[in-house]
Parts: sequence; structure tokens; C-alpha cells
Amino acid sequence: MRSDAALPAGDLPAGLVEPGLTVGKVTAGSLDDQVLAFPDQRPPKQWYLALAFTSTMLLIGLFFMGVTVYTGIGSWGNNSPVFWGFGIINFVFWVGIGHAGTLISAILFIFRKRWRNAIARFAEAMTIFAVMCAGLFPLLHVGRPWLAYWLFPYPNQRALWVNFRSPLVWDVFAVSTYFSVSLMFWFLGLIPDIASMRDRTTSKLRKVIYTVLSVGWRGAASHWQHYEKAYLLLAGLATGLVLSVHSVVSFDFATSVVPAWHMTIFPPYFVAGAIFAGFAMVVMVLVVVRESMQLKNLITMRHLEVMNKVILGMSCLMGYSYMMEGFTGWYSMNPTIQHTFLNFVSGTYAWAGWLTISCNIVVPQLLWFRKCRTSYFWMILVSIAVTIGMWFERFSIIVISLHQDYLPSAWRLYRPTMVDYGILLGSFGLFFTLVLLFARVLPVIATTEVKAILPDAQPSHHGDERHV
Amino acid sequence: MSETSYAVLGIFDNPDALMKAIPKARAAKLGTVEAYTPYAIHGIEEALGLRRSPLGGMVLVMGVLGAITAFGFEYWISAIDYPIITGGKAPNSWEAFIPIMFEVTVLFATFTAGLGMLLLLNKLPFFGHPVLSSKSITGITRDRFALAIEAEDESFDSTAAARALLEAGALEVEVLPAPDRSPFLTSDYILRTLGGIFAACVVAGLAMFFITKWFPLLAPMKHMQDQPRLDAQRPSAFFKDGHGMQLPVAGAVARGYLPAATGTQEQAASLVNPLPRTPEVFAIGRKVFTTRCQVCHGALANGVGSLTAAYGAKPANLQAQQFRDYPDGKIYWAIVNGKNAMPSHAPYLSETERWAVVHYVRALQRAQNAKDEDLKVVAP
Amino acid sequence: MSQSKQTSPTLLRGAMALGALGVLGSYVTAGHERFWANWVFWFVLMFTLGLGALFIVALEHLVNAKWSVPVRRIPERVATLLLPAIPVGLIALCALPVLYPGTRPEAAHNPILAGKAFWLGVPFFSVRTLLSFGLCTLGLWVLVGGSLRQDTTRDPAFNLRARKFAPAFMASFALVITLVAFDWLSGLTPEWYSDIFGVYVFAGAFLSGLAATALCVLHLQDQDRLEGVRSDHLYNLGGFLFAFTVFWSYIGFAQYMLMWYANLPDEVIYYKVRLAGSWRAITISLATLHFVIPFFALVTRDAKKDPKRLRRVAYLMLFAHALDMYWLIFPVLGLEPRFSWPELSFALFFLGGILLWLRGAMQKGEDMPVGDPFLREGLEFRL
Repeated sequence: MRSDAALPAGDLPAGLVEPGLTVGKVTAGSLDDQVLAFPDQRPPKQWYLALAFTSTMLLIGLFFMGVTVYTGIGSWGNNSPVFWGFGIINFVFWVGIGHAGTLISAILFIFRKRWRNAIARFAEAMTIFAVMCAGLFPLLHVGRPWLAYWLFPYPNQRALWVNFRSPLVWDVFAVSTYFSVSLMFWFLGLIPDIASMRDRTTSKLRKVIYTVLSVGWRGAASHWQHYEKAYLLLAGLATGLVLSVHSVVSFDFATSVVPAWHMTIFPPYFVAGAIFAGFAMVVMVLVVVRESMQLKNLITMRHLEVMNKVILGMSCLMGYSYMMEGFTGWYSMNPTIQHTFLNFVSGTYAWAGWLTISCNIVVPQLLWFRKCRTSYFWMILVSIAVTIGMWFERFSIIVISLHQDYLPSAWRLYRPTMVDYGILLGSFGLFFTLVLLFARVLPVIATTEVKAILPDAQPSHHGDERHV
Repeated sequence: MSETSYAVLGIFDNPDALMKAIPKARAAKLGTVEAYTPYAIHGIEEALGLRRSPLGGMVLVMGVLGAITAFGFEYWISAIDYPIITGGKAPNSWEAFIPIMFEVTVLFATFTAGLGMLLLLNKLPFFGHPVLSSKSITGITRDRFALAIEAEDESFDSTAAARALLEAGALEVEVLPAPDRSPFLTSDYILRTLGGIFAACVVAGLAMFFITKWFPLLAPMKHMQDQPRLDAQRPSAFFKDGHGMQLPVAGAVARGYLPAATGTQEQAASLVNPLPRTPEVFAIGRKVFTTRCQVCHGALANGVGSLTAAYGAKPANLQAQQFRDYPDGKIYWAIVNGKNAMPSHAPYLSETERWAVVHYVRALQRAQNAKDEDLKVVAP
Repeated sequence: MSQSKQTSPTLLRGAMALGALGVLGSYVTAGHERFWANWVFWFVLMFTLGLGALFIVALEHLVNAKWSVPVRRIPERVATLLLPAIPVGLIALCALPVLYPGTRPEAAHNPILAGKAFWLGVPFFSVRTLLSFGLCTLGLWVLVGGSLRQDTTRDPAFNLRARKFAPAFMASFALVITLVAFDWLSGLTPEWYSDIFGVYVFAGAFLSGLAATALCVLHLQDQDRLEGVRSDHLYNLGGFLFAFTVFWSYIGFAQYMLMWYANLPDEVIYYKVRLAGSWRAITISLATLHFVIPFFALVTRDAKKDPKRLRRVAYLMLFAHALDMYWLIFPVLGLEPRFSWPELSFALFFLGGILLWLRGAMQKGEDMPVGDPFLREGLEFRL
């Protein structure tokens, strides 16, 4: 039918008008001046204070990691039957947090959601830092991390290979691939931005560094052609990774026969949980960034509101997953599985189960209300709740299922040690230290990508509507 | 005016002007037309007449290669080179190979996309391009759009190119001088580079050698060597008395050695011989009796053995009524604990052997006290 | 599903009549189990197709998609298939004691089934089915009915209403599709369970809805009825088809691999039945037709917007979805896979009916949601 039958945009009711992607007048030049100035300036005092705080956390963590490497895994709380404790909880938690970044930068790119451009760079950086934090744990938990290369298949004098039938080996490949791909994707995206920094900076040292890092990028259209194609392909491939990496992580549990672990819904459930936890972290960090770096005109309330909607959506998916697990736990008519599910709500660790449910399902329902989606207080409250809830969800899955499985004579409680807590603290310290350093050194907003979506950034189309 | 120019840049301040200028610049046929922009402009590839990027095909091919390589590698390792059944799964379990195959596919495809784009298609890193040292580069990576007419040969007329660009709407033009084309691959350079690589290898090799030699001796790497275990013929710090070997705790019974014949011989009377009376059991009993018991108790268990006269001892005559009335348990008890001059035979007789001997003694007792019915021929 | 320009309603009615004869005949001669297996198969096919299409509509409202507004009327029309699916489903309730072991009195003696007898039994099953039908009708009324009404009223308030209703619909959709999966499909083997099964059936339903949408869009384009819909829109449809082919395969593989890995007898039996004898060939065909071929057919950028390629892949996808439902339902009969005159009659009857219904549906309302304020933006959409 004829397109003139549609209403002109001016007649839209208020609820249907979408706010712009930027607030106020933003030009390509003003964007550069606003965002690329940070690496050249001295950071404010608060940055140093924050860095001191996070570095202390990191040092505490490094100390306890040293204790672990020196003494052995006995310094952790892992015991029989809870052979997997904080180590794997933290690993799964951090890998999950990384997925939000890839979703924002890759999946939203595929869907051509322009609003993602302002936050994609930061989100990708968070992915890389989160995966680095996650990677600490497989390294540490092997007990002799200097021999961790044994996890990779290489010809050796023992004529041994890794066991490709083990999900833990799948994990090795999945997380390594995820890290490499994310790093590549992030770096490629940075090249044009660093080129801009190269051409702006007055410091000789910085110019050399930026020249090398930007690999001599000059913005040639013939280069842009291949670059855009590579970016699109990488986004498509990274999309596959978002689904597959956390599914492979979930296989660590779902392939076993531990009660309440062998649930086929684990792969998509873990992926939804990862996106959920990751978006909460992104929201928290972006609120701090936009306020402290005066980027409110670029990271707008619309961005935060949409991300909060994603958090809400994921919370509903988690609710569906919990419902399905509970239902099939009953439907299975298997007494051990039913016992484990009862442990979630009324056992020794039921407090963790209830914390999980309330933080993951109940609290995020606040985000149905626009007021909560656009208020710093409520969205940070929800994000903190989600972060805690998702950590405790991993805790519940691992500790509750393991501490009382099939053989009552093997039932035992799990008590984490100071070393466990210290390393957990240290992982947060590492993550936030890297985030602070990133904000200081590299452009937190992908200026090139945002320039491309400003109004009048692209030539207007003339002529033919139909180019098939 | 001298034609050592590389290109002439025309600077525009909005993408529409750039797009309008491109067909004019191409029509002037003064050189290759290239554009330099701060971000990708939609539709510029068609306008410039660029060929489609082959990257998609490259990535697809490499992705498929990655899948085949990964699956083949996993299959070869698991099913051909060192096949083991683990977790009840056959060595050629294709289902288990899929996750890694998928990840490696993505890895190959991604690196092809990223590195192929940079290195192969864009020929980056490259720091010698004249645009990088031009005045306009600051604008290009900020908010200006440049159209370049690049020299294809010596007949390039930079003035004409500049005029064409200004007529096409450029705000300003810049002539880029030709880059220094002196070859850098001189023999001197090659020798220095090779020498440098060689030196680096030597240094790295030495470093690796010493590191791998000394690294395992540092704590905590050496902790696996200092294990709290018993080394042969060495004192042990593990136990207070310094002994490595310790006696078992009082009352410990070895596996398979219950019921234990502790207590008195009368208490042992209730023990029941667990072995059936089969030819195999009797063969064991006969062998043990012949080895251990015959020397004292005699081949017929009548107390006249080869050692009897030499020792002057009086071993029990097991054919006596007293011993024929003994329950199995009491004979067993005597074997295990010894009686009078007879030592305990427990240390070198297993549970089975002890009870088998009891059966054999019974057989000997019956043999010497046979009745007429016992002489009946039994069917084989 | 699309029909060629020349398929006349008379031909379809004739096919239906012929099919009906065969259907009645098969009730008498082919055995009740086979009859009801076919009936349930076609019910599930219609229901998942309609649900998938309705999900597309709700999703578009949920995420405020603009590019899809010009083609939104198509899935709205396909979703009306839920209406004839309801009486088919009500009749399918008669299949319960025949095919569903949980509904039979012997279930009380089976220790696994006895504990959940009230769930599996006919009364609660029927209540759940009626609830599903009610929720679907509500969804149709608000989303499709509202959109059709907007053609004449041109009132943008519908968009706001649909946007607010979409999340509620998603919740009810999750419930309904899970119930279809657990009740009608895995209920055939009530000792077996898989909590991803609802997601699996969702993936198949969504794909079939997408395929039907794509086919109808192409069909209407051939008749020059969708002026302004370009390759950019087709590319997006192709992209979704590609992405959710991968998604379906991922879910299907995850379920299979996890059950293979743990090798628990009560789970693995489901696959052993489907890998024994001739069913093995069906399983391999399913993987090939539902994943391998569509994946490679749509992987390139050009393929996703090529109308010829899209049409073929969409047909294939609908066939693959039907094969999927066949693979889920028919093994419980304990027979080798078969397709003979009962199945053919059912196909003639139901396919004829579905095509007739869709033919009529394609005349409902305007071909594009002309009252939607975002229609122009949707038509201007460019990749």
C-alpha cells in the first residue's frame, strides 16, 4: 500500500516518540574534543582515590593468590563432596559478566541498534577485563599454574593428549577463543579512534605510541570498505560466541549427573544469566562514567533506560528458567532431585537460594516502572542486587547441589576460607583497576562510531527508493 | 609544478559535498580517486567504483577449514593416536567434538576477518603513507572529508588536479609530495635484521635454558619434590619415633582375615569353616599341609614327622580321638595362634590356606578311620 | 504457507474433501493410534505455526521495530490460523487416552506416573489446553484485532497499547508454548522430561512463523501488493531465518548432547527410539534439512535478500518443521516411520484447509498496517 497513508511524525503521541541518541548539539569535532581530551589531561583526584581503593583490593587478592600457589588448593575451602567452590563460582560469574559487552557490541550491531555505538567501546573493554578476571580461576585452581599449558593439546614426550570428551577442555578452548576474539574485535574498533588521538596529541611520546597502535590508519575509503566488512563479520561471529561460550561453561555442570545440575535448560539459562549480570555491571559502571566524565550528552538516559529494559527482560527469562527447573524437578519424580530442590528453599543454604530468587527475580521487577528505570538510585540498587543475586545463584547451584547429593555418608557442609574471600575481593579489584586505567588511557566512547550516526553524518539519499 | 607529487587532496566539510564531488573527480580522469573520511560513508564504495570486498568469502573458507581441522584433530587424537575409553564414552564420540569444533571455527574465521582485513587487504600496519604526514590528516580523523586524486604515472598534473577538486566544491586543497621511494631492503638492512634476529634467538635460547633449569628448583615449584613421605632407608620426620614403617594399631585385622581367631581356643570353637569341600580346596590344603605341617605332624597326621625324632618334641597326634572331636574352629585357632611348642602359622598362611588345611586334616582323620561304606566306588 | 498464484479455492476444497474421506476411512481401518497421531500432528503444526507468527507480531511491538512495520500484517494474518486450530485442538483432546499414557488408569500403577497423575490426567490437561486457547484468543484480539482496527481508526494509541500488552503476551506465550511442548509432545512419553523442551518447540514455532511470513511476503510481492518492501526488508527476514536456524540447532544439539553425555537410561531412551532402524534416517534427515542445508543456503549476505533463495529455504523450513513434529510424535506408535494413505489423506485435508484459511486471511485488512504511524519510517528503512 501507499506510504503516504502513514501519519506524519509530528502527530505521534508522547509515549511513542523516541528521544534522540545524543542530548544537545554534538558534532564530530565536539565529540573528539569531549571524549579524546581525557587521555591527554590529568585525571581528577577522585580517579586517584578510586584507583588506590581498587588497587588495594587487587593487592589483597594477589597476596591470597600467592598463598594459594605457594601452599596449594588446601588453602581454599573445597572439600569432599563440595569439590568445586569459590573457584568455579567466580569463574562462571566473571565469564558471564563479559557477555554483556559482546552482546552490546556485536549483537546490537547486527540488529543495527544505533544507540549501542556510544556504549559499545566501554562494554567491550569490560568484556575483556571480565574474561581476564575469569581466566585467573582456571589458572589458580589447577594447583600448579606454571604447568597450566598442559591443558592445551601439544605433542609431548609422555605421548599424552587432553581429553576432548571433557567439558572442562571445551571450556579451555571456548574461553580462550572468547578472549582472543573479544580482544581482536575491541582492538579493531579502537584503531580509527587511536588514529584520531594520534593526530590530536601534542606529546611526542604519545604520538609514537598512538601511531604504532593505530597501525598507520588513514581513513581511506578503500580501507573502510574492508574494515566495515570485517567488523560486520566479527560481530556475527562474536554473536555466536555469546551463545556458545556460556553454554560450554554450563556444560561443565549439565553433562554431569549431579542432582539439579543435569538439566537440559542450563545452556540458554546460563546465557540469559550472563547477559543479565553483565548488563547490571555495565549500567553501574556507565552511571559512574557519565557523571564523573561529564558524558551525559552522549551516554544518555535513553541508553540507561534501554539497558534497564534488557535487565528486566533477562530477569523474566531467569524467572522462566527457575520455574522450569522447579517444575521438572517435581515432574521427574526423582527423590534425589526433589531433595536438592527442597534444599534450595529450606536447607542449610536456603538463605543463598532465597537471596538468589529475591535479587534476581523480585527486585528487578522494579524496572517495570519508568521512574525506576530512569533514576540513578533505583537502577543502581537493582544492579547491585542483580550482581549479588547472580553471584549467589552460582553459589547456590554449585554448593547446594554438591553438599548433599546421592550418598548421605558423603554429605558435608562447605566453608569458604579467608583465602577464598580474599581472591574474590581481588578479582573485583582487578576488574575495577583495569576499568579505571582504561578510562584514563583510551577513549571510553567509540568516537568514530558515534560520529557515523550523528544527524547529517551520512549523505542523504536522492533518487530511487527501490534499490533491490 | 615538478611532478614528484603523490596526490592532491581536496577537503570538504560534509559528506554530501564529498559524494557530489566524487563523480566529477572521476570524470576528470586525472588519476586514481580515493577518499579519506573520519568514518565509513554509506554508498561511497559504489561511488568510487571499488570492487566488492572478498573478505566474506575468505572468512567462510577459513571457517570451514577451521571446522574440519578442529574435528579432524580431535578425532585423530581421541580415536586414532591414543584411543582410551573415558567416562564410558567411545573414543570416536563425535558429539563431544562439536563444541570445540565450533569454537575453533569461530577462531579461524575471526582471525581471518581481522588479520586478513588489516594485513592482506588494507596492507596495514604501514606508517609511510604521505597522507599520514600531511596537514590534512588532523582534519581527516576529526571531521573533514578528503577526496584525493592520486598520481598513476609521471604525467600526473597536480595543478590540474587541484583545479578539478576546487571546481568540484573542495574548501581547500593540499598537494602531497611523493614519498621517499629509496629501497629500504638494502643488503645492509637485511644483514642487520637477520643478525638481530639471530642474536635475539641466542639470547632467548640461553634464557630459556637457564630458566627451565632453575625454575623448577624454586619454591613453590619444588614443593612436589619435598613431599612428606617415606624414603627408603632414611629416617622419617613424619612419626615421633622416627620410623617410616609403623606397626598396625592394636586390634587391626587385615582385609579378608575375619573372623579373627582372637580369644581362647574354646572361644574359637564356634568359628565355621567358610570353604566348601571341593577338590580345589583339598588340593590347597594338601599342598600347605605337606609344606608346613608334615614335618612335625607326619604325612598321616599321626604326630610322627621327620623332625619328631630330631627335636625330641611331641607334636599332636591328630588322629587321636581328642582331635577328631575338635570342632574346625579349634584346629583353626591352633594354626593361627600356635599351641605349646607349635608357633603361630598365621604370618605366612592366608585365610583360605588355613581353612583348607583344616579340611585336609579332616580328610586325613577320616582316611585313617575309614568305614566299610567309605570304600564304595564313587562315580567319577 | 504460500500458494502459487494459480491455486484455485476449488482445487483446495476438492483436496480437502478427498482428504476428509481418507481421514474418516483411516479412523476405521488404520487403527485409532495412527489416526490420533496424525490428528495431533496436524494440530500441533497449526498451533505452533500460528503461535510463531503471533510471537513475531508481539516481538515487533516489544522492541519497537520500525523496519518490520510494512510487513507486519503478514504474520498477523498467519496468526489467525490459531482460530481454526482451536476446534482441531478440542477434538484432539479425544486422543488423550489413546496416545498419552499419563491419562490412562494404568498410570496409577506406574511409580513414576502415579505421583504426577493429577497433572497428567485428562481433567487438568484439558483445563490447561483451554487456558492456552483462551490466552491465544486474547493475544489475537489485542494484537491482530487491534492492528486491523487501526487500519480504519488510524489511532496511534494502538501502538502504545500493543507496546504495553507485548510483555504480558510474552509471559503468556512462554506459558502456552511450554504447555504445548510438555503436554502435547513430551506427554506422549511422560516418564521422559527435558526442561529445555519448551525452548526447543519455541524455536521451531518461531522459525515456522518466520518462514510462513517470508513466503507470504514474497507471494504478495509477486502480486505487486507490497509496494515499498525492498531487498533491505527481505534481508532482515533472511537474517532472522538464518539466525534462528542456528538457534534451533543449538537447542536441539544441546538437548541431545547432554542426554547422550550423561547416558541416563530414562533420558536416553527417547533418542534410542529415534536412532533405531529407519528412524535413524529420519533423524539424520532432520538435522540435514533443518540445519545444514538452510545454514549454508543462507550464510552469504546476498543469499539472505535473494527472493528465489528465500522462497526455497522458507518452503524447506516449513517442511523441516513438519518433519520435526513428525519425529517428535510418531515414534511413540512403535512402528517404523511411514507415510502412506492415512498420512496422505490427513495432509490433503489439513493442508487444503490451512491454505484455504490463509488465502482468506490474506484478504483481511490492508496489506500493510496503514494506520501505523511508523509505516513511513519502515518503508524508508535501508540497510
